[in-house]
Amino acid sequence: MSGDKPDVWQGTLALMVLKTLEVLGPMHGYGIARRIEQTSGDLLSVNYGTLYPALLKLEQEGYISSEWGVSDNNRKAKFYKLTRAGRKQVEKETREWEQTTAIIARFLTPGEES
Amino acid sequence: MNRLRGLLMRFGGLFGKKLRDQELVAELESHLQMHIEDNLHAGMTPEQARRQALLKLGGLDQTKENVRDRRGFPSLESLLRDVRFSLRALRENPGFTTVAVFTLALGIGANSTIFSWINSTILNPIPGVKHASDYAVLSTRAERDQTTISYRDYVDLRDRNHTFSNIVAADPTPLSIKTKDKPERAWGLWVSANYFEALGVRPIVGRGFLPSEDTQPGGAPVAVISYEFWQTHFGGDRAIGQTIEINRHAFEIVGVAPQGFVGTQTGLSYDLWIPVKMIGALYEEALNPLEKRDENWFVCTGRLKPGVTVVQAQADLNVLMRQIVVQFPDDHRGDFSVAVSPLWRAPFGANFQLHGVLFLLLAIAGVVLLLACANVANLLLVRSIGRAREMAIRVSLGATRWHLVRQSLIESLILSVCGGVVAMVFTLWTAGTLKSFLPPVGQVPLAITTGVDRTVFLATFIVSVLSGIIFGTLPALRASKQQPEGVLREATNRTVGSLRKARLSSALAAAQLALSLLLLVCAGLFIRSVRMAGQFNPGFNPHHVLVDEYDLAGLGYNDNNSRVEFHRRLFDKLHETSGIESATLSDWVPLSFQVQTQFIQPEGYVPQPHESLVMRFADIGPDFFRTLEMPLVAGREFAASDTFDSRLVAVVNAAFADRYWPRADAVGKQVRTKWRSFTVIGVAKNSDYDNLGEKPEPFVYFPLFQQYVHSATIFVRATVDPLAAAASAQDAVHSLDADLPLFNLSTLDSRMTLQSGIQRIAGAFVGGFGIVALLLAGIGIYGVLAYTTRQRTQEIGVRMAFGAQPQSVLRLVLSQGLKLAIIGLAIGLVVSLVLTRALSTVLFGVSPADPLTFVVVIAVLFAAVLLACWLPAWRAMRVDPMVALRYE
Repeated sequence: MSGDKPDVWQGTLALMVLKTLEVLGPMHGYGIARRIEQTSGDLLSVNYGTLYPALLKLEQEGYISSEWGVSDNNRKAKFYKLTRAGRKQVEKETREWEQTTAIIARFLTPGEES
Repeated sequence: MNRLRGLLMRFGGLFGKKLRDQELVAELESHLQMHIEDNLHAGMTPEQARRQALLKLGGLDQTKENVRDRRGFPSLESLLRDVRFSLRALRENPGFTTVAVFTLALGIGANSTIFSWINSTILNPIPGVKHASDYAVLSTRAERDQTTISYRDYVDLRDRNHTFSNIVAADPTPLSIKTKDKPERAWGLWVSANYFEALGVRPIVGRGFLPSEDTQPGGAPVAVISYEFWQTHFGGDRAIGQTIEINRHAFEIVGVAPQGFVGTQTGLSYDLWIPVKMIGALYEEALNPLEKRDENWFVCTGRLKPGVTVVQAQADLNVLMRQIVVQFPDDHRGDFSVAVSPLWRAPFGANFQLHGVLFLLLAIAGVVLLLACANVANLLLVRSIGRAREMAIRVSLGATRWHLVRQSLIESLILSVCGGVVAMVFTLWTAGTLKSFLPPVGQVPLAITTGVDRTVFLATFIVSVLSGIIFGTLPALRASKQQPEGVLREATNRTVGSLRKARLSSALAAAQLALSLLLLVCAGLFIRSVRMAGQFNPGFNPHHVLVDEYDLAGLGYNDNNSRVEFHRRLFDKLHETSGIESATLSDWVPLSFQVQTQFIQPEGYVPQPHESLVMRFADIGPDFFRTLEMPLVAGREFAASDTFDSRLVAVVNAAFADRYWPRADAVGKQVRTKWRSFTVIGVAKNSDYDNLGEKPEPFVYFPLFQQYVHSATIFVRATVDPLAAAASAQDAVHSLDADLPLFNLSTLDSRMTLQSGIQRIAGAFVGGFGIVALLLAGIGIYGVLAYTTRQRTQEIGVRMAFGAQPQSVLRLVLSQGLKLAIIGLAIGLVVSLVLTRALSTVLFGVSPADPLTFVVVIAVLFAAVLLACWLPAWRAMRVDPMVALRYE
């Protein structure tokens, strides 16, 4: 059971999805979920009840687009890919995220403060 | 930006739901299969693989629901669900729905009707001209008189001001016109040549007037005709270039005004427009109104420059007018000043009369709407008691309080919007009823353009929604407060909650009673005003008098002698006619808003500095005072022998004699007009000239046979039906001139109805709604009592089982109703006494606290309450104790 693994935090899932698509190119929902779990070293569990609404949201906002295609093992699946707006969004969110983590890091290591 | 895009796509998500659902199912299915395959690769058994994949996916339905929520607007969807639910609930109870919708329709319809009237008069004072607030009307004021402006002053004001982009001048005039064969009467406006251009009115065919047509007196015999005139006289066909005969002069039609544009005064409608410089050509008289600064003829309407307010314009013109007065002091006697008024309360035209009363009626309509709201709120309350169980069950099943409030409010809004729609349909018809209060004929071309436009629709919609919120909120909050366990256990514990509800209902019923008292008192006061006006003695006897008019202008009676000769011969002819008690001629009809003034100097009187000696006068035939039964205080009235060959004579009224010759006998004194001097031979009693019950002002009568008047009114006093004498009067005229048209045939009584027009509008309107209010209040009280009595059936049964007499039961119920009535009536009485004071300016002959009106209204309401109480009380009295006790 995956119940003991933490779920993806709210708000970060979108960035993970976008980054995954940036790295892998067009990919279906199952592939995105597996990739996020693998990248996290199986520390995270992607709840599909939140993944699909998140994908829909990104699509509505124009960062990704979708179309039906055929997967590696010849199965019909819906593939998502980054749009141009999506690429910009990845850059922007990455930058913001790095900034946030840097700030948090300073708080967590108070020793370095001078 | 992307948020917005998301929002739009979510709206899109409300549609094509089925297809998207299928797609989602397919996507999730493929996801599941891929997961199973991976699990198989990892070495699981097919069963295990499937189980694990399903677990990981989490509830399939929950995922679907999450995605669906994201796709559209879940709240919007549930809102639509609530609407559907409400519609079903309302359909299930058609009786309640019908009553509520029609009650609201009445309340909303009252408001939309009055608003449509305001919209077509005050908000759109000049039909066919947009941006009414950009315009203002100029008038001059000398002491008590507010009047029009002389042409020379107008030109100076127009050319030298800094606040108006343009000012137009217009003077209404009756005309004798001839298009093909028959001569007829028409109403025209003398206008400055900038008229159409400055107002932004573009003729639909042809052109307006050219600047050059404003320069040379008599140089531009051209006319623009109204759309209506074009349709009736030219069948909407080629009119440009055609000739029209106006007062026997040929004019060329150069343009047709657009449909709906009928002139610049609200409530008055004209057939054609003529350049002002043609006045001299059409009036043979010596007066030339374009040259003299004391001939105040013109209604001037100015277009304010952008951003300029009426107050600024007033200040600007004040300075200018002072300069003009200093320059020409003799032409500007009295405390002469200029006034700038916005169109909605212009001193000329219907708005002057209407603006006060329409806002008053709107306030009264607001009371009607409040009353309707109280009524529907009460219906909803009673209904919510019946639905307590339903609410309790919904709460038990997890509905939040907000859900219940929302559901209840949506129901109210549906009711009020339906009411609004019915009201709108109703208003399409009532909007035009304003016209029915105008007398059919008169001295002025009355015509009010009414109608319903987008503004009225929008206002009605807003009022509907607002009233839905007003009457819906209280019952909604009340209904949502249900304690499910209490309601579901109701059988054992039924009175506690319901009594509190009855208290709210009782308060609403008392409020209805108070509001209907207010309405009925207003209605009573207006109806009394109309009656008082009808019975009021204006200083003469207006009953049984026929009036009929003719105009000799431009019909071949070119020299003054031939006109006087015609009047004389007609007078003689009328006197030979059998069946006529008495007859006379006059160029003025009392109390018909026809005002003519001139400068008159009483012998030996030295005016105060700035005192104006411009006063009202009339030219009348012999027997005028006898025919109108207007008594003379001294001297004699004009006789057929007072002609040009004899001495020039005049009759003054008592107010004239008292003001100018307080210590001397007026008979034998002289009065001087600009050209001639007249000897006073009689003093008439003061009567009402312009308004019923007015303060007496000096008034002078001259003999018609000593004046050069082209148009006159025939007055015939008959013993019975004055209209029966119409034929004889016509025969008398046509025996002298077969082609002379007579117009505005009516009785003097009906001419005067315009005097009480405002009160009649208000009386009819408020009276109608007062009766509705009476019904609503009665139903309200009945509803409350019937409900509480039913709740107390068991108690009454017990009382009767213990030996209570039916009479005491009757008293029990009646006392509850009467307590309610007394509270409601007391509040209503106080409120009415305070609020009716606002009516004092529009009432006639009754005080706003008229005791008779109050007593009658309270008695009627009390009787209605007794009736409403009696039915439930009677039912309670007949309760069978056995049945009542078994009922539980």
